[in-house]
Amino acid sequence: MVRQLITRICLAFMLLLSVYPFLWMILSSFKTNREIYNPSQLLPQFFDPFSYRLLLSGEFIDFYEVLLRSVLLSGGQAILACLVTAAVGFALAKGRFRGKMILTGVSLLVILYPKQAMNLSLFDWMASMEMTGSSYSLLISGVASGLGVLFFTQVFRKIPDELMDLARVEGESLGESFLCFLPLVKPAMITYCILHFFLCWQDHLLPLLILGAEQLTLPLALAKLADSSYRIPEAVGLAAGVMAMFPLLALFAIFFRQIRTALSDWVVS
Amino acid sequence: MSENQATGIGEKISSLLFLIGPFVLLWGFFWLVPLIGSFEESLSLSPQLVGKIASEEQFTLMNYGRALNDGKFIKSLENTLIFVTSTVAITLSIGFFLACALFGIPKLLRGFSLFLLLIPSLALPGTLANLFYLFFHGKSGALNQFLIIPLGLEPINWMMNPSWILPCLIFQAVWRWTGLITLLLYCGMRAIPSWQFEVARLEGATSWNRLSTIIYPGIKHLLFFGGIFLFVDGVASFSGAYNLLGGSGGVLDSGLLFVTYAYQVAFPGGAGRFDLPLATAMCILVAVFTVLISWFCIHFHKQKHRQEW
Repeated sequence: MVRQLITRICLAFMLLLSVYPFLWMILSSFKTNREIYNPSQLLPQFFDPFSYRLLLSGEFIDFYEVLLRSVLLSGGQAILACLVTAAVGFALAKGRFRGKMILTGVSLLVILYPKQAMNLSLFDWMASMEMTGSSYSLLISGVASGLGVLFFTQVFRKIPDELMDLARVEGESLGESFLCFLPLVKPAMITYCILHFFLCWQDHLLPLLILGAEQLTLPLALAKLADSSYRIPEAVGLAAGVMAMFPLLALFAIFFRQIRTALSDWVVS
Repeated sequence: MSENQATGIGEKISSLLFLIGPFVLLWGFFWLVPLIGSFEESLSLSPQLVGKIASEEQFTLMNYGRALNDGKFIKSLENTLIFVTSTVAITLSIGFFLACALFGIPKLLRGFSLFLLLIPSLALPGTLANLFYLFFHGKSGALNQFLIIPLGLEPINWMMNPSWILPCLIFQAVWRWTGLITLLLYCGMRAIPSWQFEVARLEGATSWNRLSTIIYPGIKHLLFFGGIFLFVDGVASFSGAYNLLGGSGGVLDSGLLFVTYAYQVAFPGGAGRFDLPLATAMCILVAVFTVLISWFCIHFHKQKHRQEW
């Protein structure tokens, strides 16, 4: 009984540590600099949304454009990565061909090779191909995800081989079978799409190198707003932080149950 | 070969091309070619050395030697190693504890609590850094107000004291990833068949017995997966430190992480030197080391697992 109580108190403390700073951030986006520099003050003196007005007015950054760019970039890359890696995962799980081990090794290598260490090389290569400064080149550069391949290989392994045999008897090729089986793994597709969106959404260094100062994504915009040399009120940066969290929070809140189920299934496989 | 067989092989090849082709093409273009290019770049003459050495010495492993003799690079590696090992150990321990603790609360509250724990993972690293700086930092910051001063200690200037900069980065990373690791481990624990717990209950097993014979064996692969994920992410950590320290390594470079330094070496601005060959040599050294360590870990983990069976 005592142990359970202690465990619950620890859990409550961790929940507080997770949530309280964000609650403080939301409330501080209505505060003046002076109030913000006193973190023990939770509530603002006045609930004046001046920081949101300033942020959306475009005085410091064009926030709508930045948000739209981030959504399109992350969303587009997530959908493409999901389709491309699901196809490879299906081939690895259900296909019979030489080189499966090599393909699995390649996927593992992509995961294990630190992404940020790759970014300088990628930037150099894209600059030599005159592909820098374009959101499209940034979008397709992250589609070949090793994590996706390994995730979908496990997911498709759970589909019974009898169904594959049936498809073969019906005269369907491996590619056609993949298109037939896609609806069966919808929860896994949604889960991976969201996970990839989440990873792309947070990417900082590659957009910084490829897009430059003209085309900001949310992480770059937040770094600019936090830069003291621009003398931007702290509340504006916090307001941007609050607004940057909403798309991901909404996605996770809507699909949380599906994500949990898909991850549990993936763990079992 | 009959016509039917030839058609079958043709169909198989076209199917494989349809399924694997796009991935291989994109992987080759955006991963393999840049990697080969970067290796070539790392062998080229650094702009800082033009005119200082004879031309026949240009295509050598000189940049690798320069990297290994660079005190700041070694310092950044030491910092990264401490950062990574601490983050992995602390995050996995807390994540494991929280995942177990979630089973001790009513079912209705579990999903909600898990979602709340995930919030720091969903925030942008820039937001976390900004929040960390404004909320926790300074004499009036939350850490000092709620933890240090009540203990009767002197307030700590977290971001200006060299001894505390790296722990701050570790704290930030732990805070960020604990929710996601908890979710992963919780899903793993949920997947353990309930009859195992039922049998343990009937046998009168203690909590420790349940933990060591059912829960840990059931999720040890996930703990390993989480460890590898945190390790690779930690080595490549950039955004949090970049935002928190403004692209520098902090006082006395005590918070200088490897990627931040490679960025400083590669690009002008701040301490930047625009020395891309040296920066790519550094990246290759660290990446190869990371891949080898991870690969060996996976290999030994698999071998150990096979022996158990």
